[in-house]
Amino acid sequence: MKILVCIKQVPDMESKFKLNPAGTWYSDQDLAWRMNEYDEFAVEQAVQLKEQTGGELVVLSLGPAQVREALKKALAMGADRAVHLQDEASYEKDPFAIASAIAAYARDENFDAIFTGMQSQDRGSAQVGLMLAELLGINAVSTIVDFSCDGNSVTAKRELEGGLKAVVKTNLPALFTCQLGLNTPRYPTLPNIMKAKKKEIATPALTAPASLTATLSVAYPEKKGQGLVLEGDVGELADQLLSILKEKTTVLK
Amino acid sequence: MELTREIYWNVGHGVLLPMYLLVLAAFGILGWGFWQRIKVYRQGQKLDRRDDLVGRIAAALRQVVTQHQVMRVAGAGSAHGLFFFAFVLLTIGTTLVFIQADLLEPLLGVKFLIGNFYLLFSLVLDLAGLVAIVMLLGLLVRRYLVRPEGLPTVWDNALMQGLLLAILMTGFVVEGARIAVTELGTPLAAWSPVGLVLARALAGIDEASLRSLHSGSWWLHFALVLGFFVAIPFTRFRHLLTTSANYVFADRRPKGSLVTLDLEDESAESFGTATLADLSWKDILDSDACTYCKRCQDRCPAFATDKPLSPMQLVNQIQVVAFTHPEASLPATVTSDVLWSCTTCRACQEICPATIEHVPKIIDMRRNLVLMEGEFPGEEVQKAIDNTEVNGNPLGIGYASRGDWAAELGVPSLAEDAEVDLLYFVGCYASFDKRNIKVARAFVQLSQAAGLKVGILGKEEKCCGEPMRKLGNEYLYQMLAAENIELINGYGVKQIVTSCPHCFQTLSNDYRDLGLEVPVQHYTVFLDQLLGSGQLRITAEQFDCTYHDSCYLGRYNDLFAPPRNLIRAAGGTLTEMAKSGLESFCCGAGGGRILAEEKLGSRISEKRATMAAETGAPVLVSNCPFCLTMFEDGVKGAGVEEQLAPKDLAELLAERI
Repeated sequence: MKILVCIKQVPDMESKFKLNPAGTWYSDQDLAWRMNEYDEFAVEQAVQLKEQTGGELVVLSLGPAQVREALKKALAMGADRAVHLQDEASYEKDPFAIASAIAAYARDENFDAIFTGMQSQDRGSAQVGLMLAELLGINAVSTIVDFSCDGNSVTAKRELEGGLKAVVKTNLPALFTCQLGLNTPRYPTLPNIMKAKKKEIATPALTAPASLTATLSVAYPEKKGQGLVLEGDVGELADQLLSILKEKTTVLK
Repeated sequence: MELTREIYWNVGHGVLLPMYLLVLAAFGILGWGFWQRIKVYRQGQKLDRRDDLVGRIAAALRQVVTQHQVMRVAGAGSAHGLFFFAFVLLTIGTTLVFIQADLLEPLLGVKFLIGNFYLLFSLVLDLAGLVAIVMLLGLLVRRYLVRPEGLPTVWDNALMQGLLLAILMTGFVVEGARIAVTELGTPLAAWSPVGLVLARALAGIDEASLRSLHSGSWWLHFALVLGFFVAIPFTRFRHLLTTSANYVFADRRPKGSLVTLDLEDESAESFGTATLADLSWKDILDSDACTYCKRCQDRCPAFATDKPLSPMQLVNQIQVVAFTHPEASLPATVTSDVLWSCTTCRACQEICPATIEHVPKIIDMRRNLVLMEGEFPGEEVQKAIDNTEVNGNPLGIGYASRGDWAAELGVPSLAEDAEVDLLYFVGCYASFDKRNIKVARAFVQLSQAAGLKVGILGKEEKCCGEPMRKLGNEYLYQMLAAENIELINGYGVKQIVTSCPHCFQTLSNDYRDLGLEVPVQHYTVFLDQLLGSGQLRITAEQFDCTYHDSCYLGRYNDLFAPPRNLIRAAGGTLTEMAKSGLESFCCGAGGGRILAEEKLGSRISEKRATMAAETGAPVLVSNCPFCLTMFEDGVKGAGVEEQLAPKDLAELLAERI
């Protein structure tokens, strides 16, 4: 079986974020970097699938030179080789451009299963995985909290609102985006950390179309008045809400 | 009458040949028995403990002869010590008989067991025999009637005590029978008082029967002694040699020293201790040197709070594995729960009369669990490790704010200004934890009051790596250490002071293996010196307190006086806890356990907080951020927070500048 896991390196969420000089994204000064937490679940699940079925696991990341550290961690967790789509200003690409770049690489590789994180902790658009599946023409199951594979058939559970889980079955090839609760990512053993230093990190050419969206500006949320909690029966609440929207906002004209 | 006795009276010189042949045979079996055991020790890794071999042997002899470590604990310790001295005297006595009877007299016609010397000889040996019997009986009562809890008794013990008592008693029977025939009614007999009592009891019996009794007892006594020699390697008697050998090969490095693994070694297939072959020969000898005295178990804070760890049992398990199934997995045999419960407080090693090294074995098994299995005591610990890898501190707070606590204190980071009098290595808790930031500020205020310029590494500082190292993550520890050392050396730092005993131990000892040579002090020593020289002045203000000797300042570094000097200088009236100094009871955070949840048994911190509250003092003074953190929780959990306030020594001093 040939498996792909796509990861992103993001800043640690405990960092103090400042805006970059252009005001279009966060500044990369004084940040600690790490593999996106949701991607850790993806890597762990991909490694488990590889251990179950044999075969090859490729880890891929799009980003500047420093994302090699995240790739090395994935290699230490059990990926066989890495692909680095190098882009020093990857933050300027939107999810469509990123998904297209990955699809350009993956199209001819015929992966049976692709894992990604549900969303990234910095941008949080939750689109790259699903767009990638669409561009490759394969099924996608998002927000999985359970995964089992029997031959070519996968049964996954998706997390819905209110604690509900949806059971979804699909055949491979398919793509899965991973949510908290799917598994506990393993801590790499020292022999695996050492082996990872020798595993291949390839840097094929990156081909991507232009982004469909552009980030015009980024700003801290304004500190405004407090939130308001409405109480009463649903009909009254709807009326109250409607009048607030009409009088206090410009949402309804 | 002549002041001597006829050696080999009644049994005749004919006994010589069979006696020595049998003794030779017994020693042969003894040697063979030990050779079988040495072969097992040799299954362990090489370890060179032959440095200063003469000094080691001299020290070992001193330890054996004085029984110092054995007698440190009164009761059974005193009894064993006295028994040992008595037995040594008896052995010397027998040796003197051998020297005269088999060497000096037949070859040179020289006799020295005569006259006043013989009288002294007789008296001393009789009293020695009596003391030996009384001590043995006392120990017998302790083991079988009093039955102290946790004392492991096996058939060995009955055999040993029975054999020794029989040897001593038959010895007196031989003497009594001889005196009854040859000395009764003479002044000589009084110099063998115990023998005389026996002789009087036997007085009515005819000479022929007494002579039969004498020679029969003589052979029985001899057979029992042969039995003793033969039993040594096969019973707990082996400690006569194994414990003595353990003294010779004891760890002479500074306390708490660990092996710095070569992680780059490509030929290494495994790290840490998985099976017996991963232990050193000394570790296996340790397990054979244990005398099952349970002093370590009695002092273990984990054992005292119903966790499954007993240092003695762990060492015993190694012995069982070594001699019955050496291929077994040691971490699995000992079990993870046991291994993770250790706080590395060193109480076990400090008190062990056999100088066994318990803690490094535990850490080495942890290394196997972490480095080879990726196992931790809990998810919260794995998270803390992850935090340290990402942000350089287990609390997971952004590294860029590490120096923020010092804002407005006039403390530059070395990156801004490296011309400082001392580098204050702050540590993770004093940098990020609200309660401990107060300690960091206090230390800075005190240093500045002494006219010193303090610098910190600020956001460049990373965790010293100690909790990770003690948990077994040698790889992360070495990475953190390398980064810190490169920075410190790069800035040309001349002096380092820490407010955390764990940072202190790690920078002053562990980091020596990785290239740090700068002198390091804990703040209590540093401030004590400043006060002593008058460079720092404080105004004493009376307060009542009790003081907790932290494990890493106390047992690890023997720093008991400087903090007490500081307390006195501050105006403190100190009421010591029963368990203080070397016997101090751990707060529970060592061994990396500050990062872990305490899920088994009861809380160590609450137990210690209760001990502190029992002194009646309103303030519990400590010198360590881990202790302070544990006690803040501990006093609440123990329900004593109204009557006992945990404070760090630095805070008390800073209030008195």
